[in-house]
Amino acid sequence: MDSALKVIFSAVFVSTILRVSTPLILPALGGLIAELSGASNIALEGMMLTSACAGVLVSVYTHSEWLGLLAGISLAEVMALILGYFHLKLKADIILVGLALNILASGATIFVVYLLTGDKGSSTKLVSLEMPTITIPIIKDIPFLGEVLSGQNLITYLAFIATGLVWLFLYRTRLGIHIRAVGENPDAARSVGINVSAMRYLALMLSALLAALGGIHLSMGYVKFFQRDMTSGRGFIALAAVYLGAKHPVGTLIAALVFGAADALSIQLGNLNIPSQLVQMIPPVVTVVSLILYAIARKRRAAMLQRRFQKTSV
Amino acid sequence: MRQKITVWLTTAIAASMILTSCSAATSTVAPATTAPAATAAPSAAKKLRVKLVINGTLGDKSFFDSASLGMDIIKKELGYDTKIVELSYDRNKWEPGLEDAAASDDYDALVAGSLDMGDYMSKIAPKYPNKKFWFFEGDIDFASKLGAGSCTNKCSNVYSMYFKQNEGSYLVGLATGLSLKAKALKGIDNKTKVGGIGGMDIPGINDFFVGFKQGLKDAGLNPDTDIIIQYVGGDNPWNNPAKGKEIAKSMYQQGAGVVWGVAGGSGMGVFEAAVEANAYSIGVDSDQYFTVSDPKQKTTIITSMLKNVGAGIARAAKMDASGTLKYGTAEYLGVAEDAVGLANNENYQKLVSAEVQAKVAQAVKDIKDGKIKVDTTLK
Repeated sequence: MDSALKVIFSAVFVSTILRVSTPLILPALGGLIAELSGASNIALEGMMLTSACAGVLVSVYTHSEWLGLLAGISLAEVMALILGYFHLKLKADIILVGLALNILASGATIFVVYLLTGDKGSSTKLVSLEMPTITIPIIKDIPFLGEVLSGQNLITYLAFIATGLVWLFLYRTRLGIHIRAVGENPDAARSVGINVSAMRYLALMLSALLAALGGIHLSMGYVKFFQRDMTSGRGFIALAAVYLGAKHPVGTLIAALVFGAADALSIQLGNLNIPSQLVQMIPPVVTVVSLILYAIARKRRAAMLQRRFQKTSV
Repeated sequence: MRQKITVWLTTAIAASMILTSCSAATSTVAPATTAPAATAAPSAAKKLRVKLVINGTLGDKSFFDSASLGMDIIKKELGYDTKIVELSYDRNKWEPGLEDAAASDDYDALVAGSLDMGDYMSKIAPKYPNKKFWFFEGDIDFASKLGAGSCTNKCSNVYSMYFKQNEGSYLVGLATGLSLKAKALKGIDNKTKVGGIGGMDIPGINDFFVGFKQGLKDAGLNPDTDIIIQYVGGDNPWNNPAKGKEIAKSMYQQGAGVVWGVAGGSGMGVFEAAVEANAYSIGVDSDQYFTVSDPKQKTTIITSMLKNVGAGIARAAKMDASGTLKYGTAEYLGVAEDAVGLANNENYQKLVSAEVQAKVAQAVKDIKDGKIKVDTTLK
């Protein structure tokens, strides 16, 4: 009992949260960009799965983790283009196309793994390469911080860097502002000469890039093999983080970290003699509670704005 | 014109339906007199066609893969025709899939298994009294308690087998516990605990852990403080290796020297966690020392709990051929039948001391003789 609690209050636990959250933060940022452009990317899950699979297989056969990464990203981009083509060009419902891509990814990855290894479950017959783990000099020797900040997988650092970059992109660049404008009001954006379709293509492709990094982290960082359906709904939890994070990069990051922390906590508490059903309720309960808190906060803010507006108008 | 075609098509479809239903009807009536299930004495020379229907896909590293190995044995040793139908993991496809597989006349014996398929099998088997059904790891309603067409013929054409995973798990627990107590495992001198990761908190999985705990207890570990059991859970309990690895890592951090994953694909993450923690792991279902390819990972596997579904199926086929298979009943296959056990491979011999090995071998004998009774969550 003590040992589990001791772990929860230690640096190891914080480091666990970062690791667990990485495959949520990246697709969540991807989902955010797509969401802000007005094209919800439901296919995050499928994109992650595809790149997780491609990353492992290509790294095994080319002996280069970087080519694996590249292959994973490229395939996710192809999926983004398919999604964009059906939705933007052929005007199909983006939710339907996204779901179709997810189902396709689940089946196609198993099929390809089966063709190459004769195994329909996982790629454990192959020894995959992994993305490098980074040890930061100096910081690694600081007692608490060292354990938390150093020795993480490269992609975990990328997740945090990406949050900053996504913020810069969305709020400080012309393209980013165009993307948000398209999402806010496509007709108005079109009237001032912004190519709505192009902006959404771009948003979906950026979204795929981030989702792919999340997928690669799962199969080439977290574990070192591909397992069928190994994303296990992380793409959808990422979408929830977008809404919970009030469609803002920092909010999304925090929401993803909250989900990760809930998951990490349930893992640690699972080692105590608590009924497993209770412990497994933690992540969904955290999700529901935080959504409620978010709704209340938004309502209050709306009410406050209204009061202010009434005061000034009187 | 189009109307004409439609008329022709309808006629053709109707005709084919009548014809097929006729042929199905005659086939059920005619051989029913020979009723292989009742007499259970088919001529030894007859080459059967055996069809395995799995409610999932191959590649589970668990009993579906093992069952398919059993089909290979049947093919090789008995010269039977074998076929495997995969129904995928979509639950909605299981009952109709089994129904279709049973309705087509391309088999003599149909094999299926798992908890979920028991009720379907109980309903479907009585409809084909001239066919044989071999079932594993689930409940067949022999007493016809469920009503509604379930085992209307007392399922007298069904043979059902259970595997006493609790017995194999006892042996694994004993070997692990004794090694841990003797501090015989290199590099984990300060570790006193053992972890077990299940896919879901269900009786079929807990049966492993009940036996495992009893073995560890008999080795001198305290079941309340030294054994940590946790479940992957969630909407994808069997294919979430990242979570499996994370749970294993947390167990190693809390003082576990050995962790056992009984969680299908999620359990594959345990071996990686074992390497990172410089500690040990245990395999399940098949001898995972031979199925894991990474040399660093496989050397962490002390032993594996073998659950030989395939051997059980092959055994059923052979007993059927000799007319000794007891249809209409369920049989429990354990250590005595070599259906479950502990993997005795080169790594086991290297990691586990001769003294412990001897004690485990003695326990095998004691279980066979009935001197050791292993608890179970099933029955």
